[in-house]
Amino acid sequence: MNTLTAVISGRRKLMLVELVAKVVLAFAIGLATSIALAGIVLLLAHDAQAAELQAMKPKEVQQGTLLLKSEGATLAVPAVATDAEIKVSGIVARAVVKQTYRNPYDTWFEGLYVFPLPENAAVDHLRMKVGDRIIEGDIQERQAARAQYEQAKSSGRRAALVEQERPNLFTTSVANIPPRGEIVVEIEYQQTLRYDSGSFSLRFPMVVGPRYIPGAPAEGQGAGKGWSPNTDQVPDASRITPPVLDPAKHAPTNPVRLKVVLDAGVPLARVDSPYHAIVQRETEGGGGIVELAEGSVPANKDFELTWTPAASHAPQAALFTEQLGDKRYALLMVMPPAKEVAAARLPREVVFVIDTSGSMSGSSIAQARDALELAIARLSERDSFNVVEFNSYAKALYDDARPASAANRDNAVRWVRRLQAQGGTEMALALNLALNGRENPGRVRQVIFLTDGAVGNEDGLFKLIRDKLGDSRLFTVGIGSAPNSHFMSKAAQTGRGSFTYIGKIEEVKEKMGQLFAKLESPVLKGVDIAWPGAVEAWPKRVPDLYLGEPIVVSAEFDKLDGDIKLSGLRGDTPWSATLPVATAREGRGMGVLWAREKIASLIDSQRDGAKEEDVRDAVVEVALAHHLVSKYTSLVAVDKTPVRPKEDELQSGAIPTNLPEGWEYGKVFGELPQGATDSLWNLLAGCLTLLLAIGLTITARRTPVALRRA
Amino acid sequence: MKTLTSREDWPLGVECAWPAAMHATPARAVARSKMRRWQLWLAAVAFSVSLWQLGQGTYLQAKAWLAQVLIRQAWARTLEGEAQARPWPWADTWPVARISVPGRDIERYVLAGANGRAIAFSPGHVFGTPLPGETGNSVIGAHRDTHFAFLRDVKPGEEIVVEKSVGGTRRYRVAGAEIVDKSETRVLAQRLGESRLTLITCYPFDALRAGGPLRYVVTAKAI
Repeated sequence: MNTLTAVISGRRKLMLVELVAKVVLAFAIGLATSIALAGIVLLLAHDAQAAELQAMKPKEVQQGTLLLKSEGATLAVPAVATDAEIKVSGIVARAVVKQTYRNPYDTWFEGLYVFPLPENAAVDHLRMKVGDRIIEGDIQERQAARAQYEQAKSSGRRAALVEQERPNLFTTSVANIPPRGEIVVEIEYQQTLRYDSGSFSLRFPMVVGPRYIPGAPAEGQGAGKGWSPNTDQVPDASRITPPVLDPAKHAPTNPVRLKVVLDAGVPLARVDSPYHAIVQRETEGGGGIVELAEGSVPANKDFELTWTPAASHAPQAALFTEQLGDKRYALLMVMPPAKEVAAARLPREVVFVIDTSGSMSGSSIAQARDALELAIARLSERDSFNVVEFNSYAKALYDDARPASAANRDNAVRWVRRLQAQGGTEMALALNLALNGRENPGRVRQVIFLTDGAVGNEDGLFKLIRDKLGDSRLFTVGIGSAPNSHFMSKAAQTGRGSFTYIGKIEEVKEKMGQLFAKLESPVLKGVDIAWPGAVEAWPKRVPDLYLGEPIVVSAEFDKLDGDIKLSGLRGDTPWSATLPVATAREGRGMGVLWAREKIASLIDSQRDGAKEEDVRDAVVEVALAHHLVSKYTSLVAVDKTPVRPKEDELQSGAIPTNLPEGWEYGKVFGELPQGATDSLWNLLAGCLTLLLAIGLTITARRTPVALRRA
Repeated sequence: MKTLTSREDWPLGVECAWPAAMHATPARAVARSKMRRWQLWLAAVAFSVSLWQLGQGTYLQAKAWLAQVLIRQAWARTLEGEAQARPWPWADTWPVARISVPGRDIERYVLAGANGRAIAFSPGHVFGTPLPGETGNSVIGAHRDTHFAFLRDVKPGEEIVVEKSVGGTRRYRVAGAEIVDKSETRVLAQRLGESRLTLITCYPFDALRAGGPLRYVVTAKAI
């Protein structure tokens, strides 16, 4: 028995040793495998060629600011509430935007509010309401207006100042809001509506999305109260970066009420508001009134209203005139027929550019990825293509455009699906990759640019587009809830392409479908307008028009008599039309629209080499004559009598804005990196479970021995 | 002690031990053997889990340190003028700077982007802040249990040297360290005319699990 026990216990020892050995062996194998795997992966990687991705030279890499200059928003500032009423008549709209500044504190306040308007808004009126008194604003050169405002502010008088930072970005400054009191500021503007692919659209932006500011911090044009310092590339950055509330910490702010009086002049097939719930009422004159269903909404995304005339009433041509003093002004819109022209289609080279910066994070990048996938799938085998993504850096999928074979398209779609949004918005890097400045005989080169346009250096980018366009054409697709409309329209105009917007994922198919139709149809080029009399018409050259786009021109003249003759080339087919001046209808605000168009053209001419002083003088002249806010002129309203006692202090604050809907705060303003792995946890958990396994095995093996003894 | 000479003598482990139970009464033996089988299955599962966890833990560390070899080679190519030299072809990041702490014999390569994918391999430069060595506040993040474990011991006054991708170096002196909540973006702020290095890792250093809200922030000012 003794010997048996000895044998058994010897055996047990052996088994135990063997078990431990096996466990150690297994662990060692596991360890070696994981290390080997990691090593092989990395070493293999080393030998292969990194050919797929093309990159920028380090010197071209720039840094910018998307980060806060100082912490957060000062919350002790007046509150603003907006009430907009927009009257649509035919192809123009006139809006009154009422901003109520309320001071809930016991001290005197100055409020600064940075807000967006449509990129073609002609702001021509400012009224300050104090109690039941109304003070009309004057148009003045920007410096003079500011000086007058500052003087009023320090002398204790109430004052309001409206300055233009970008064509779609304005600042209202309101001085000496009394303790627990309010000041109402009314701003009026006129705009031409967009008519495209059979529908009219009215966009009323509500919030300025936080812009990425490229460049190194530098002394710029005056110190604004924004979150970004001025930089060498955006000298007014501190003026266009109002503080933004983190939606995770603050309730939405800046409520907006909205009313649209819609007099389209023709029977309508449908009226849509894609981003806000609306209620509609019919009015007696055949028009309608549209209001927000919720009454008031936080200013955190664009409002859009679209309407489509009934099939037989689609406008072919419209001419409105207005007498102002001894001048007459006209707004002409002509819709070239969208006839199918059987032109030999040239092969296309399409370069897709997708913005993967932090501001795109959230719903925007999902929309952009979907749109891009759809566009890639739509390519034909004859076409070639490439994809560029950019954030703080830019990179292209392929070194050069590749044929749109099924394999290449699949590869591209897989690449696009993996794209994540983070980092800065160095758009210049992407434009440099996508535009090569070359001529491409025998093919059509189209660049499709998907972005929210959240940058502060628009002018530099437009210049880059102009210089490097070659015979490529640039089409912008504005993504997200609050795209930069100035960037979208001007980049497309400079790039001689067209623009569209996608504001939610459900729109991707429809909007991209319209864009494809434009890309694939012949362009109407060389449009010439012969006026029966001397006119000053803007724009001077009618741009190339894509499918569904009308000719829109403003003119100033003394007398017109006879027919306006239009001609052009759709593909290779000549097109012409005649419009008798006698058909003109009387309209209002044609003069302001003409002046606005002239100012836009003058500002554009600076990119073509016109001297800044000359442009400035010309803009000031026309802006003062037509009472228009511009880059160089501002509206200012000043009360006569001082209200703030000399001994009372005046506090000042920038009014914070909401983050646009669907954006992610941390991705825009940066977040602290997370610096830890779970490796310690893994090792501990591994050791514990290993002990458990050993324990279980030993007890399982011990049981039979004990049994045998019994 | 018996020497193992033939194949039959070698205890083959779990399966070979089973027949020993045959000596017990059949009914109890069946119950016992069933229980043992379950126990052994459980042991096998626990063993697999332990292998997985140990493998994972080791893999995270191995990845962090083995990748340094490839990143070093990519850095050499970068200094020779190659743009965005990727350490391996499908990498979505590349070295943008090299930082060293001469007093501690520490050398780290900084990758573009401080996202989880990048800093698993090496410290990452936070997009939107100036590149290390340039004017402004350059922010770098890394793991507290791998590349930035040394931050725990770094004292004010120590020198950090940054080698830039475009050539040249810049020296910084550690000004101090603080513990902040991850929401405190002020450490990312840019100030006019100031150059600094901000090194961020998780805190506390000995925490078992990742994902805590605290960050350890070391600030160094350009000399």
